[in-house]
Amino acid sequence: MRMKKLRELFQRFEPDKKEHPLLHTLYDGLFTFFFVPNTVTTQGAHIRDKVDLKRVMVTVVLALTLCYIFGIWNIGHQHFLAIGQYTGLFEGLHLKFAFGLAKILPIFIVTHLVGLGIEFYYAAKRGHSIEEGFLVTGALIPLIMPPDIPLWILAVGVAFALILGKEAFGGTGMNVWNIALLTRVFIFFSYPAVISGDEVWVAGLEAAKPGAAAQYGWIETHLFNPLFELLGLSTFPDSATVVDTFSGATPLSLAFTGGWDAVTARFSPAELWFGAIPGSVGEVSKPLILAGMAILLITGVASWRIIAGGILGAAITAWLLNLWGATPMMQIPWYYHFYLGSALFAITFMATDPVTASTTPMGKWIYGLLIGFFGIIVRVINPAYPEGWMLAILFMNTFAPLIDHIVIEMKIKRRLSRAKV
Amino acid sequence: MDLLNIFIKSAFIENLALAYFLGMCSYLAVSKTVRTAFGLGLAVIFVLGITIPINWLIDHYLLSENGLFGMDLTFLRFILFIAVIASMVQLVEMVVERFSPTLYNALGIFLPLITVNCAILGGSLFMISKEYNFAESVAFGLGGGFGWFLAIVAIAAIREKIRYSNVPAPLRGLGIAFIITGFMGMSFMALMGIDPAALIK
Repeated sequence: MRMKKLRELFQRFEPDKKEHPLLHTLYDGLFTFFFVPNTVTTQGAHIRDKVDLKRVMVTVVLALTLCYIFGIWNIGHQHFLAIGQYTGLFEGLHLKFAFGLAKILPIFIVTHLVGLGIEFYYAAKRGHSIEEGFLVTGALIPLIMPPDIPLWILAVGVAFALILGKEAFGGTGMNVWNIALLTRVFIFFSYPAVISGDEVWVAGLEAAKPGAAAQYGWIETHLFNPLFELLGLSTFPDSATVVDTFSGATPLSLAFTGGWDAVTARFSPAELWFGAIPGSVGEVSKPLILAGMAILLITGVASWRIIAGGILGAAITAWLLNLWGATPMMQIPWYYHFYLGSALFAITFMATDPVTASTTPMGKWIYGLLIGFFGIIVRVINPAYPEGWMLAILFMNTFAPLIDHIVIEMKIKRRLSRAKV
Repeated sequence: MDLLNIFIKSAFIENLALAYFLGMCSYLAVSKTVRTAFGLGLAVIFVLGITIPINWLIDHYLLSENGLFGMDLTFLRFILFIAVIASMVQLVEMVVERFSPTLYNALGIFLPLITVNCAILGGSLFMISKEYNFAESVAFGLGGGFGWFLAIVAIAAIREKIRYSNVPAPLRGLGIAFIITGFMGMSFMALMGIDPAALIK
């Protein structure tokens, strides 16, 4: 009863759509956020299901939160490892989390300001309500960035991917390529210095070499330091320098130059698996990615065929390359490929994007297998790129409609031949 | 093994359509449905696969200094290559018209226009500049054709998929096709930089 009154009160404020398109879009966005929309389908058969776009997207965001929490800690942990303080996993937890937050929050905010701004503008301009499409994209983008990414570059990348990759194709659900990966690939090719190499994966350093000074922003020195002092906790150091044994190289770049031996000389397999390693924010902790994968699989949000195909394809390809074994990279045992880089993260959260993946069951298998195949091929065989999953998934996005087309044509042909008999 | 290298390289890594952006006119015009794109793609594979070796023979045995005439006639390359390409395309046209009139009608003017498809002449000229031998030029022709075929079939599938998308009115048709081509080129950069020859050593 009260709910109904509230609803009526809310509707009284509805601005006129023609006179104030921008205001109406804002109103509409808020309204559908608080209440179930009134519009229902009027004709034809339709499926009744409580799962709508919003719920699907929120499930993915929930699955990502684990990666977020770990990523925030790991940004801080890598930073303090570099300056040689609080090197234990559980030492200086508050500092590590505070530091990670100070790094990831601006990325998160800029992503959403730019992304939602563009989304909002187009919704008003083209006269449809705000779509939830940006929820997952906006949650994924910070996870695939290095922690120190310059915010203006991030903004340009997000704007590029959203305008050309999504709005030009007609908005949510119409894009052909994964938006989060388009953002990253744009930055990767346009500003390679900020997103590849050995120097960008540890945050808050003047330069990623021994002897360089640690840098703290206003948030750490003026917000967290007084707070921690008040609580009687340790604070960020006034000045610190990078330790002599430091190297910012990711396991993959070590593997590229020296093979598996060079990786294990620096990181133990357990470290690689649990994720206390430099890398993109979300990709590091494999158990938590697996937990996210479990959430997606149990709720049926992600296609198990794509995930199984991706893992199988990668394993088989890596195993075949093991047999060949011509370069140090090829000799990495096939199962360790899942310990490195973003293999699991990409297969779980990027490949399964239902909009850009194949839609037929058979097509999903093919799509997944080929992603696994090309991911390992680019990672191991292509000397131009250290990691292959972003490019492999974009490559297969290109072919996903074709795979569907072929699968459907074959089905039709088989049915026709049966009908003749 | 060397031939396989050249095939893979010309099909995926140095894709005529998406790395060199050759043959764009028919690539954009005939890619509205997968069916016609498939037909044109096959025709391009055939024409490239035939003309490049023939042009190699002509270049090697007629035009070069140690050829039949004993003098450097390489200035005749362009005109002779085009003549070979035109006659091959004529052959393809007759075959398609005989065996698949529907495809012939669907392809329309673009079938004879393969003659001036820059991917075809470009393929022959790449074959010269890369100094392939005969077997390699066969592999290069088939690989290049296959790469172009793959590109046009993929973009046709994408364009079929987005047929019901709410693309902004000014971008409908060719505009969005250009954007798609750009993104496809970007996605093909995944394989750029792979050097099959370096792996086999």
